[in-house]
Order: sequence, then structure tokens, then C-alpha cells
Amino acid sequence: MELNGEQLISASIPDVWRGLNDIDVLAKSIPGCEEISRVSPEEVHAKVMFKIGPVRARFSGKLVLSDVVPDQSCSMAFEGSGGAAGFAKGKSRVELKAADGGTLVSYTTEASIGGKLGQIGGRLISASAKKIADDFFQKFAKELGGETVALESDASGE
Amino acid sequence: MKAAAFDYVKPKALSDALSLLKQGGDDARLIAGGQTLLATLNMRLSEPSILIDITDVQELKGISVVGDKLRIGALVTHTEIENSDLVAKHAPLLRAAAPHIAHRAIRNLGTWGGSLAYGDPAAEWPACSLALQATMVIHGPAGERKVSAKDFFIDLYTTALEPDEILVATEIPKTSSNQVFYFHELARRHGDYAVAGLAAVAEKDGNVLNNCAFTFFSVSSTPVMATAAQDLLNGKTLNTELIAAAVNAARDEIDAIADITNSAEAKKHLIGVLLERGLKHLVA
Repeated sequence: MELNGEQLISASIPDVWRGLNDIDVLAKSIPGCEEISRVSPEEVHAKVMFKIGPVRARFSGKLVLSDVVPDQSCSMAFEGSGGAAGFAKGKSRVELKAADGGTLVSYTTEASIGGKLGQIGGRLISASAKKIADDFFQKFAKELGGETVALESDASGE
Repeated sequence: MKAAAFDYVKPKALSDALSLLKQGGDDARLIAGGQTLLATLNMRLSEPSILIDITDVQELKGISVVGDKLRIGALVTHTEIENSDLVAKHAPLLRAAAPHIAHRAIRNLGTWGGSLAYGDPAAEWPACSLALQATMVIHGPAGERKVSAKDFFIDLYTTALEPDEILVATEIPKTSSNQVFYFHELARRHGDYAVAGLAAVAEKDGNVLNNCAFTFFSVSSTPVMATAAQDLLNGKTLNTELIAAAVNAARDEIDAIADITNSAEAKKHLIGVLLERGLKHLVA
């Protein structure tokens, strides 16, 4: 599955960058985040409860940052296990650019989802991922005291 | 696989069902036909601690005509809709759509209200209720409230229902003598979820359509109305150019989302195919 999108957030680049690296801000922004901790400057562990439709799946996983250029871009690799429900892993690249009215955050994500969640939820995985990303950016922008401005995003299943 | 252990209660009164739902919070689930819920439980994709079986609640049953509206109770099954004379007379779009829902065994158990409250973007009933400008009758701790279908389907599997509310029934304006309808879905096999579908109604006067309500499903996170295409069509004589313009407008305005086998481009293509077929059918 691929998920690519852009979000315009009405906050400055340093504020957005700080937010993306602040686990307290992330904890409040990630939908269903129950626990989050930084184990090293590049590694974050988290427990997240995904609630989509009838599905309630608790994922515990880790996120490893690389190619970090402060105030510009970073790459991250993530993997998580949802116990009986399945697993997810993938990588994502995030870039920040100055734009009219704030900061343009663009992201590209490739993820694979396996186990029962992949089999059963496969039909709507892309739509679900898009909803989670949209929810995240809305909460994230609110945490920074700004708001998101609607832009195009697209998801494709593979 | 088998579901994790859960408690089970079967209240007879709507008020009891509501208070059980409030007590249970996020650990409680309503069950009626169970055609989606039981699969998720058995796959352990969800482990609620209590199931509230609402199939004994009288207020949720039956199809009736109330004034100029057709009222369909939340517990009415897909098969009951398929076989109902009242539905065939007052909301023929639903009669046409019912056979497309999965298979007979599922239609015998699955319910109207369950499908609406679940809000699957590929399901037939959410799209039909949007096209028919239906109103959802909802009960909660604060009493009754009504929400139009337009405001009910908010996002993927997300409706205006609060966790402590129950969808009781739906009210649908009765069809008029000049109202025409079209329902079609493109699926790989009959009974599969549609790759794309169209539920459409309009008022017809010769070759002119008015009050067009064209709702596409299984193309985005919710059923979507092609409002730009409708605006183009309303009040104008239908011809090849107008159909082509409406097809382009619908493809432009709908933010199609890919599913596991079909790209967003393929969905957009099918939106146009369905609309063209639908328009030709409506004025035939």
C-alpha cells in the first residue's frame, strides 16, 4: 500500500519540526496512542489502539529515524505487531517546505500489512490509512495551535 | 476461529438497550443480524466484553407508511425490503438494490439499520438512503433526534451516531409519479462488494431530468453525491453532449480512493460508465 499526501499547517517550519520530534505532541496527535517513549535519539517505541469500523487492534511497534536534516526532511522506518490481528511495516519520508500561510508537510509512505488485518481489511486498507493520516494531521495542527488547510492527498492499494 | 468470551444480554425495551449501551461504553457492541460483527469477533479483530442483542426490541421493527414518508425500522432485513410491497410502491430504488446485497443467506439475517450504522462505503443502503434524501431517526439518552442522510455519513465507517445512541428507523419521502430511478453496481462476481456503484433518482419530464440525486458508492470513504454533474443535468434536455459533460463533471468532482485491486483512475473511469448507462436508462 502507498499513501502520499500533503498538508498545509498554519505554523512555522521550526514549530512543525519541533512538534514532529516532540513525543508529547505526537502522543496527543496519533489517533489512539496509548504509550510512547523515546529509547534513543533515533528510535521511538509506541503502543497504539486502532479503531476503525468494527476493528479494535492494539499495535505495539517502533519507529527508527534516518537521514535527518533539521527543519527540512527525514526518513523513518516503522514496524508494528497487532498480536492476533496482524502486523504492519513500512517506511515513510517527510519533507517540510515554507508555503503561503504556514508549512507544507509532504509525505510518502509505503507500507505492507499482513496477517488477518491484511486479509479481511485489505479492501479498505488505503481508505483507512488515509483516514488515520488525516486525523493525525488535524490533531497535530491543533496541538501546534494552528489548523490544517485541506489539500489533495491520495492513497493507492497494492 | 472462535470469538473471545463475551457476555450476552437481550433486552426487550429500547430504554433498556440504551442504558446497557451507556453502561458498557466502548466495551459493548450492539448485535442485530451480526453479518459483519460476528466475522470480526471470530477473527478476533475486536473483543467486546458484552454483546447487546437488540432483535427483541419492537420499536426497531417493521415497515410502515407514516404520512408522506415510508418508515423502515432498523431491524428490517434485506430480504424483507426485497419482498415488501410497500417498499416496491413507495421506494422502488430499494427494491431494485436489494438483490445486489451479498447472497440470500446474508440478506435473510443482515439488517437495514446495521448496514447504515456500520457505514461501509461499498454498501448499498447508505448510498440509496443518500439518493432518496432519507432521514435517520436516532434515540439516545437525551431522547430522539433526526439526522439527514447527507449529514449522517461522515467518513470511513464513521457516522453521526454517538457511541450511546441507537439508530431506530429511517424515514424516506415517498416516490412521486414522475420520479424515475436507476441502480447498478459493477462487481467481479454477483454478491461481491462493488468496484463502483450508482444509486440514482430524478424527476422526469420527457427528456428533461430535475432534482437529480446521483449517489456513487464504493469509490470513496463514504457514498458521494455527484452534485456538479447534477447541477449540469437539472432542467436541461438530455443529449449526447450533455451526457458527456455530466460524465466529465462526475469524474472530476469525486475524489476516488483506490482499493486493493482497483486504482483511483479505474474507479473514476467506472463512475463515468455508470453515469452514462444510468442517464440513458432514465430517459429510455
